Amino acid sequence: MKTLIVAERKDGKLRRVTLELAAWAAGKGEVEVVELTGERFSPGAAAQALAARAEGAQLVLAGATAFGRDTGARLAAKLGRAYISEAMALDVADAVTAQRSAYAGKVRATVRAPLPAVVSVRPNTFPLPAGAKEPSVTAIAVGAEPGLTFERFEAIPDSGTGRVSLAEARVIVSAGRGLKAPENWKLVEELADVLGAATAASRAVTDAGWRPNEEQVGQTGKTVAPDLYIALGISGAIQHLAGMTSSKVIVAVNRDPDADIFKVCDYGIVGDLFEFVPRFTEAVKTVKAQG
Amino acid sequence: MKILICLKQVPDSTVRVKVAPGGKDIVTEGMTWAISPYDEYAIELALEVKDGDPTTTVSVVSVGPARARDALRQALAMGCDDASLVVGEASGLGLSRALAKVVMEAKPDVVLCGKQASDDDQGFIGPALAEALSWPHVPFVTKLAGASGAVEAWRETEGGHEVWKASAPVVLTVQKSAKEPRYPSLPGIMKAKKKEIPEREIVSLNVDTSGQTLEIASLEPPPVRGGGKMLKDGDMAAIAADLVRLLREEAKVL
Ligand SMILES: Cc1cc2nc3c(=O)[nH]c(=O)nc-3n(C[C@H](O)[C@H](O)[C@H](O)COP(=O)(O)OP(=O)(O)OC[C@H]3O[C@@H](n4cnc5c(N)ncnc54)[C@H](O)[C@@H]3O)c2cc1C
Ligand SMILES: Nc1ncnc2c1ncn2[C@@H]1O[C@H](COP(=O)(O)O)[C@@H](O)[C@H]1O
Repeated sequence: MKTLIVAERKDGKLRRVTLELAAWAAGKGEVEVVELTGERFSPGAAAQALAARAEGAQLVLAGATAFGRDTGARLAAKLGRAYISEAMALDVADAVTAQRSAYAGKVRATVRAPLPAVVSVRPNTFPLPAGAKEPSVTAIAVGAEPGLTFERFEAIPDSGTGRVSLAEARVIVSAGRGLKAPENWKLVEELADVLGAATAASRAVTDAGWRPNEEQVGQTGKTVAPDLYIALGISGAIQHLAGMTSSKVIVAVNRDPDADIFKVCDYGIVGDLFEFVPRFTEAVKTVKAQG
Repeated sequence: MKILICLKQVPDSTVRVKVAPGGKDIVTEGMTWAISPYDEYAIELALEVKDGDPTTTVSVVSVGPARARDALRQALAMGCDDASLVVGEASGLGLSRALAKVVMEAKPDVVLCGKQASDDDQGFIGPALAEALSWPHVPFVTKLAGASGAVEAWRETEGGHEVWKASAPVVLTVQKSAKEPRYPSLPGIMKAKKKEIPEREIVSLNVDTSGQTLEIASLEPPPVRGGGKMLKDGDMAAIAADLVRLLREEAKVL
């Protein structure tokens, strides 16, 4: 069997999800890792550039990032193959079987597609063995697509891009309306910095404009599954839970003992986040300093 | 500008979803249905263009069972101009080709799809429809502006937006934007009641159903969580220290 992995790079380095996919595919037959290069290309152009290589692969894998999900879909359609989006577990024999979440996270589905197939896989699905070596990557240049031109980039000021990306983060610090005001966001950032975490927010926070939309977790935001998700002042509405209950460990801080978030947490603290967070940040700093 | 929105009716986001015995489907009895949330954002995006330029027309189409009519009626009440229903079941490539036939008849400048439907959560149909039409598509769009003979679409990416210019036609998949979808107005609801929603059977579209499809092997409720530990011994500093210890030694995530 041949597996084609569509690599992604951030700040010059292969993304962790690419390494996870390569580590999983190693030992399952032939593996080719390709990377698309070019300035701001469209998904149609990306799929076009990938089509010839993908033609010869039984399985095409991409990370379930914004790029990977969308490119995977277009590529599968181009090749007339089935597409599995955001797989959380994967098994390949005569067919590919995957677990994924459906109904906005309220249902777990097992789906099956005949080979050849295209699958986007959630970051953090496969373990990355310590010392796994970087795969060699073939670059494929992507051109322009007729009818579409890139005009300009409009940056969001104060977006969390200096940090690890939300989709791939192992640790996420997320805050809700309980934070009270945008200027209190620094509490979240200080904690995220000592943890090496990404920051996220509930919809109450993104709707209020305290944080950009791209940081929203939930049904109409991102679905995340980090090792550790820390929810500060988030009530635990069903649409928020939809985006984060696959996290391995959930910590919840809320001053309302009946908050729904406590029903899904592994560790809960009933109390004022303004009292808790600075002390927790200090405690983490102390143990990190001890190594 | 002529805009066509592909709309799917899904379980309302506030309801609990139960897996039906047999594990192949969900319990639909007594279900509250709604327009899929990203499709609602698509409607808002289109209606904003129309607010700015009243010559813009906004049409909606849905493929689904007869009950999908309610979702279309809701879209009309929000301010869409016309709606049509394709009765039948289709998914994956077949569905994208069925929608492509509808698009080719309607000849819109812009087709809007949701980023993903909140039932299968796949995000396949938008890109697949663009592929079936051989049109370009721009994913995760949060803003749309019409210029002469072209549209400008804002694509959400890490750290900001890429602004793409399409010399129409183009498919856009819509991401949640800062502007909440509007509620239907009372006059809007009255007007929508009077509108005809033409329907036809999916078989009449003679869709090519070749290609591979996905099969649902089983549905289950997500793993139950809970039985979490509540930390309450001592003051906040002690609790904070305790949590650090548990995260390191018990959960092993620090
Ligand atoms: C179609 C649809 C899609 C949606 N999609 C999403 C989505 O993707 N993501 C999402 O998050 N929501 C989503 N929502 C909204 C969701 O229903 C909730 O309204 C939202 O999650 C609430 O955010 P919150 O928990 O921050 O605010 P609230 O519900 O107001 O909760 C604030 C919490 O903070 C606690 N608190 C207050 N002060 C303190 C303090 N000092 N210390 C500690 N705790 C404190 C309170 O006890 C309360 O529990 C969606 C809704 C709909 C209808
Ligand atoms: N049955 C349908 N009828 C009309 N549009 C659909 C249908 N299914 C999906 N779509 C469109 O495709 C988008 C993505 O759906 P999906 O690929 O199922 O996640 C939806 O948000 C709709 O815009």
